[in-house]
Amino acid sequence: MAQPLVKKDDDRDDEAEYSPFLGIEKGAVLQEARVFNDPQLDPRRCSQVITKLLYLLNQGESFTKVEATEVFFAVTKLFQSRDIGLRRMVYLMIKELSPSADEVIIVTSSLMKDMNSKTDMYRANAIRVLCRITDGTLLTQIERYLKQAIVDKNPVVASAALVSGIHLLQTNPEIVKRWSNEVQEAVQSRAALVQFHALALLHQIRQNDRLAVSKLVTSLTRGTVRSPLAQCLLIRYTSQVIRESGSTQTGDRPFYDFLEGCLRHKAEMVIFEAARAITELNGVTSRELTPAITVLQLFLSSSKPVLRFAAVRTLNKVAMTHPMAVTNCNIDMESLISDQNRSIATLAITTLLKTGNESSVDRLMKQITNFMSDIADEFKIVVVEAIRSLCLKFPLKYRSLMNFLSNILREEGGFEYKKAIVDSIVILIRDIPDAKESGLLHLCEFIEDCEFTYLSTQILHFLGIEGPKTSDPSKYIRYIYNRVHLENATVRASAVSTLAKFGALVDSLKPRIFVLLRRCLFDSDDEVRDRATLYINTLGGDGSVVETDKDVKDFLFGSLDLPLANLETSLKTYEPSEEPFDINSVPKEIKSQPLAEKKAPGKKPTGLGAPPAAPVSTVDAYEKLLSSIPEFANFGKLFKSSAPVELTEAETEYSVNAVKHIFDSNVVFQYNCTNTIPDQLLENVTVIVDSSEAEEFAEVLSKPIRSLPYDTPGQTFVAFEKPEGVPAVGKFSNMLKFIVKEVDPTTGETEDDGVEDEYQLEDLEVVAADYMLKVGVSNFRNAWESMGDDFERVDEYGLGPRESLAEAVSAVINLLGMQPCEGTEAVPNNSRSHSCLLSGVYIGNVKVLARISFGVDGPKDVAMKLAVRSEDEGVSDAIHEIVASG
Amino acid sequence: MLLALLISNSVGNILVERYHGVPTEERLHWRSFLVKLGTDNLKGAKNEELFVASHKSVYIVYTVLGDVSVYVVGKDEYDELALAEVIFVITSTIKDVCAKPPTERLFLDKYGKICLCLDEIVWTGILENTDKDRIKRLIRLKPPAEF
Repeated sequence: MAQPLVKKDDDRDDEAEYSPFLGIEKGAVLQEARVFNDPQLDPRRCSQVITKLLYLLNQGESFTKVEATEVFFAVTKLFQSRDIGLRRMVYLMIKELSPSADEVIIVTSSLMKDMNSKTDMYRANAIRVLCRITDGTLLTQIERYLKQAIVDKNPVVASAALVSGIHLLQTNPEIVKRWSNEVQEAVQSRAALVQFHALALLHQIRQNDRLAVSKLVTSLTRGTVRSPLAQCLLIRYTSQVIRESGSTQTGDRPFYDFLEGCLRHKAEMVIFEAARAITELNGVTSRELTPAITVLQLFLSSSKPVLRFAAVRTLNKVAMTHPMAVTNCNIDMESLISDQNRSIATLAITTLLKTGNESSVDRLMKQITNFMSDIADEFKIVVVEAIRSLCLKFPLKYRSLMNFLSNILREEGGFEYKKAIVDSIVILIRDIPDAKESGLLHLCEFIEDCEFTYLSTQILHFLGIEGPKTSDPSKYIRYIYNRVHLENATVRASAVSTLAKFGALVDSLKPRIFVLLRRCLFDSDDEVRDRATLYINTLGGDGSVVETDKDVKDFLFGSLDLPLANLETSLKTYEPSEEPFDINSVPKEIKSQPLAEKKAPGKKPTGLGAPPAAPVSTVDAYEKLLSSIPEFANFGKLFKSSAPVELTEAETEYSVNAVKHIFDSNVVFQYNCTNTIPDQLLENVTVIVDSSEAEEFAEVLSKPIRSLPYDTPGQTFVAFEKPEGVPAVGKFSNMLKFIVKEVDPTTGETEDDGVEDEYQLEDLEVVAADYMLKVGVSNFRNAWESMGDDFERVDEYGLGPRESLAEAVSAVINLLGMQPCEGTEAVPNNSRSHSCLLSGVYIGNVKVLARISFGVDGPKDVAMKLAVRSEDEGVSDAIHEIVASG
Repeated sequence: MLLALLISNSVGNILVERYHGVPTEERLHWRSFLVKLGTDNLKGAKNEELFVASHKSVYIVYTVLGDVSVYVVGKDEYDELALAEVIFVITSTIKDVCAKPPTERLFLDKYGKICLCLDEIVWTGILENTDKDRIKRLIRLKPPAEF
């Protein structure tokens, strides 16, 4: 039996806190292990040495092959001892050492002897050790004993064999599968744990045989399962069977009664498992959900943190699909906001933010405020993001949500957290026009005491763009000019630029701005002085109230029209000389596609771009790109750019996607091409477009990529003419054409001669939705009423049988390409009718609003009533036409 | 699968560390993650008060017992409730072996016995025994009492 390493004396516990393993050293312990070879074994001493070896192994110490072998051989000698405690240690030690295949042979005979021993416990342990170290050949020799062990009367022996079976199934499945009958018998065992282990093994053996799993579940759900652990497994297997059987149209779901019955089990583990299984059923109805939600609600107020966590985690998931079902738990959830466990509190808050309705927002915010002060930043960021989506869902509540954001902005916090808040405020300002003025003021207050230069400069830049357009721009000047006095040079320079922007846009403020700018001429920093001088001159230094020239505005607000990377490279290669740097010498061609664009779908809106660039949306980026190409200069203003459409499968030799740019009388296809073959260089890359299925389009020009090296994306363009203002549609087939040249991968040299080649791409379509901009309104009802019914067109349509109502709604939204408002794109499960509010701007800059009522008629037939209002009669008709022809 | 069982002292030094199905290169990451979780949250916690967290599809339940902190990590069928069961077996067994919530010294004095108990409770990622009295007999190679 294992003895304490140091003679135990209760009094010493408190006085001597040094470790019994103090100064333990591998070499010394290995030396000590020689006692295993003594002819007269001292079991106590041997146990002590094994404990030290275990301690070393558990500390992450590793033995070399030679050391491990030496220890292993020595340990096998200990089988001679009859001491029971030592024998138990030896079993553990052999498992920990996991000897190599050629060494195993030394112990197999001893272990096989133990496996047939009359002492049950020798049998159980020997099985576990043998299964740990065995290989296939040995396994066939001991298979007979293992099968016997599975049905052994002693539950420890049976469990040892069953758990071994679970592991051996990974390495020797064909052998373990032969034990089905014995395992089946063990499932009926009266010993709880044996049943648990047997059920796990039996399911693993049969997991690929649906019918067998279904039979297993059917028989067990009728019988009694003793162990709560086994019952949990059974619930899991049952939900798998339900999932695979598909939903039945009529009558009750199979096994639902079993799951519901488990909600009344005495073990909490089982109740929870059943509740979770019910919430995860496909297309679960509210009737089915109710009992599960009720037990989860009880768990919310449990004294056990694990139960509260499990319950709130599950309800959080349910809230994503069935927010209404969870609202009953809101009161319990609110009390969890003060839970000591921060994970529980954060889950509770994010759930409440999902289920809350407009009227509860204020109360909720009050509670969250108290909670925010004592959680870590990473939790706070989750909450800030949830509040941002809540605000976009209930725009009318922007005031209290914006106040909340501004309050937490004033409190302590790290950069990431502050950035999340600032980004949220910027997004709210952009999406909710009413929130603009208060939002800007909050940001102004923040920069009065902001320790992050990065955030200060971004806010100043944003202020420069938005501030002058507000009703009273002068109130922001104080905050901006304070920066010139109080901050570091970077922020001061930004403040000077912002002041200049106010001066340029607000003529009445101009004289006063000049006074401020002149004061900046004495700044200690070169950049600040330079900027002040520059702006005073460009704005017309006499300070009179005159309108600023368009050129100056372009200079202040326009972009450089140059890819910054190109400018940077050119500046780096510029050698100081008499000849000044010529900005026109910077190439305008974008070398590589911006990464942001590729990642766009999964990327969160960040709100602000990196300083000093403006918050660049993808559209702005495209606009800049297109305007840098002289051939497109006379196409006018870009109306819309589509999301990239993939024209190749993933992981092909050449990867191509296309963006459709819509102008008034032109359409430009931008093909983003990437060459994924390292030893090829493509030249003169173009796309040959066949527009025979797009009658109204005529190709006007094609702009090739001169050279497309490996893994450096490039763009080729094809432009079409179409009748002005007409939403022409059509289908285009595409063929990539290029000259391919071999590249020597070692030297990077390219061969001179190339071969012409072609590569078929998928078709591209221009559809009605391409002529619609997704532009939301913050208050649909107001917008609808102020639009008036002069050009209202109402009609009804049958959409025929659809997969579901939600699918029909999303299809119509996609067809029209309009922005769903007030969260009406989400259709609650199992609902039979739904109203959807859409808003957009149609080509020609005509505002359009649509109100659509959907209803399910018969089993799957969906019908809808579409009411369209717009500023133009023709456009209202056009929207109906899109639906009628779609 | 029970992915990890870790026992550390109050300042985060590892006393016992066992992983199942966790690649070697990820173990260090798990160790520092768990220890940080403990130092952040276990200060002032009562003995055997359970703490719970989840990270992606993995659950973590941890607690403090005397001078040692115990962490178990699981996934799939070993969710937070199953882990609570596992950690309950572990803490009650340790208390049994040490006769009280252990000091670090006492834990190390009983190290060999504790290793044997853990071997009976969790074996290569599967919960094997849940009853502390039975475990007490098993480590002395005595058959379970009820048998």
